[in-house]
Amino acid sequence: MDTLMNILTEIDSSIVWDQENALIDDRMLDSFDIISLVSEMEGAFDIEIEASEMVPDNFNSVEAMRKMIVRLQGS
Amino acid sequence: MSYHTSAYLFLFLPLVLLAYQITPKKVRWVTLLAAGYVFSWMVSGKLVIHLIGTSLWSHYIGVWQAWLKLRCHMELEHASKEECANIKKNYKKKERTVLAGGIILLLAILGYLKYYNFFAQNMSQLSATLGRREPLQAKALLLPIGISFYTLQAIGYMVDVYWEKIPPERHPGKIALFLGFFPQIMEGPISMYSQTADTLWKGTSLKGEHLAQGSIRIFWGLFKKMIIADRLYVVVQAIFENYSQYKGAVVAAAAVAYTVQLYMEFSGSMDIVIGSGRMFGIILPENFRQPFFAKNASEFWRRWHITLGVWFKTYVFYPVSMSGIAKRWNRFGRKHLGKHLTKVGISAIALFPVWLCNGLWHGPRWSYIFYGMYYFSILMCGIMLEPVRNKCLEILHINDQMFFWKILQTGKTWIIIFVGELFFRANGLRAGIHMFLSIFRDFDLNKLVDGTLLNLGLDQADFIAIGVGCVVVALYGIVRERNLMGERKLQKLCLPVRWALYYGLILAVVIFGAYGVGYQQVDLIYAGF
Repeated sequence: MDTLMNILTEIDSSIVWDQENALIDDRMLDSFDIISLVSEMEGAFDIEIEASEMVPDNFNSVEAMRKMIVRLQGS
Repeated sequence: MSYHTSAYLFLFLPLVLLAYQITPKKVRWVTLLAAGYVFSWMVSGKLVIHLIGTSLWSHYIGVWQAWLKLRCHMELEHASKEECANIKKNYKKKERTVLAGGIILLLAILGYLKYYNFFAQNMSQLSATLGRREPLQAKALLLPIGISFYTLQAIGYMVDVYWEKIPPERHPGKIALFLGFFPQIMEGPISMYSQTADTLWKGTSLKGEHLAQGSIRIFWGLFKKMIIADRLYVVVQAIFENYSQYKGAVVAAAAVAYTVQLYMEFSGSMDIVIGSGRMFGIILPENFRQPFFAKNASEFWRRWHITLGVWFKTYVFYPVSMSGIAKRWNRFGRKHLGKHLTKVGISAIALFPVWLCNGLWHGPRWSYIFYGMYYFSILMCGIMLEPVRNKCLEILHINDQMFFWKILQTGKTWIIIFVGELFFRANGLRAGIHMFLSIFRDFDLNKLVDGTLLNLGLDQADFIAIGVGCVVVALYGIVRERNLMGERKLQKLCLPVRWALYYGLILAVVIFGAYGVGYQQVDLIYAGF
């Protein structure tokens, strides 16, 4: 999952990604960052992320994003 | 019957509370549902049938989707790995078709009842300009009360079932109650099924604590509505209805007065609605969070009419952002145009439908469409100029957390809000433009103190009541914003202090409320949407 860290660093290199647990709740990621993130994730992990996945729980931490990716790869 | 009337507060609400409590717990939902339909019938007459029809339709679409999901699971059990993807794809397509059908019917009815005459009128004008005969006649169409609110809730339910955020509801009564809970019918808040359906269904017994909390919240709403909003209505009405007679500072003051009136009125009625819900032990979502503390237009909309903003974000903004065209743009942009231009493009694609819908949702008027486009343009300007802004801050060594910078940002946001509300309230787009331009003619602040405002229907005592009322609301806003005291902390105050505050609030409404001789009862603004 280094690819995910590369994508996240590309989006904002000032955030210490794996130490944050409230990326959405603390407004560190805004709606447009998430859209870019989703677009990159889809390309990198060969998954399709639907609008229904756009909930804070899926993007609040790197761990949550990883879980979502694994779930979508398995479905 | 509106929420601020004596008929609602002293007759309807207490009777429903009584009926609810004496009904056996299992069937309390029936009492609440019946109350919702009686309330709707008292306002809209037989048009209550639309609310009932919307509930049944939402239930039907949900059940249909459930059946498709079940069929899909059954077929997957007997399918090979290679077939699974195809089966899933086929059923997803079927579910999407069912969902689209469900939404289209609701929107078609809303569109016909709410926008047909607007469309006909504009077509007629266009035909007249082109020298043709009038193609469409206006029709006498009646709008069921709250149609714009419960239609959005119904669509939200159907989409959430499709997205599998919630399981499809088998009992039509539960959906009917979710859409027809009487305090919410007229003005929202627009709740999601997962927020309120279960607590509404539970039939929790009335508790003294809930009744007290609800009553105080209702009085707080009445304070805002009756002491401030209903007085400001007089001034606003006098200037906006005779706008050609006024210019300069008076028109600017009217824009400010209308903004304050709208906030006190809408947030005040939300307090009454949320307080009514609280009396039954039901927690409805908040619709306002100190909007005048916002530092930009985007933040303002996260604090003002929150549930409408959340609805548009969830069901319009994200689906558009995740659409094929948006994703293609994102990939293309990041490869060829760089981060910033890509963001500008994706923002335009996703925000345009949101703000067009927001404007149209408020009603069939060009000034509402303009209002939506006004905020779209402001948000787009903010996104486009972000790098310039950041560069300026860097060169000038300004930290955006500095107090003076925050004050400046808040002041800028206020001006954006006031101008927006001026167009929102004006009698048409042309009147709005006229009023806006007239602000810059003979701008003289003396007009605000030379007695001009005292000729608009309010005397000095009324203005003092408005001023003191606004100060109280602002102080409470500061307390809430700084998290010094919420409703929970208020409950923990020592008894004499708490009851002194309660009695003070009740007495203020009784003594200073704008009702009785010399005052006109003012209808709820958002009930008209």
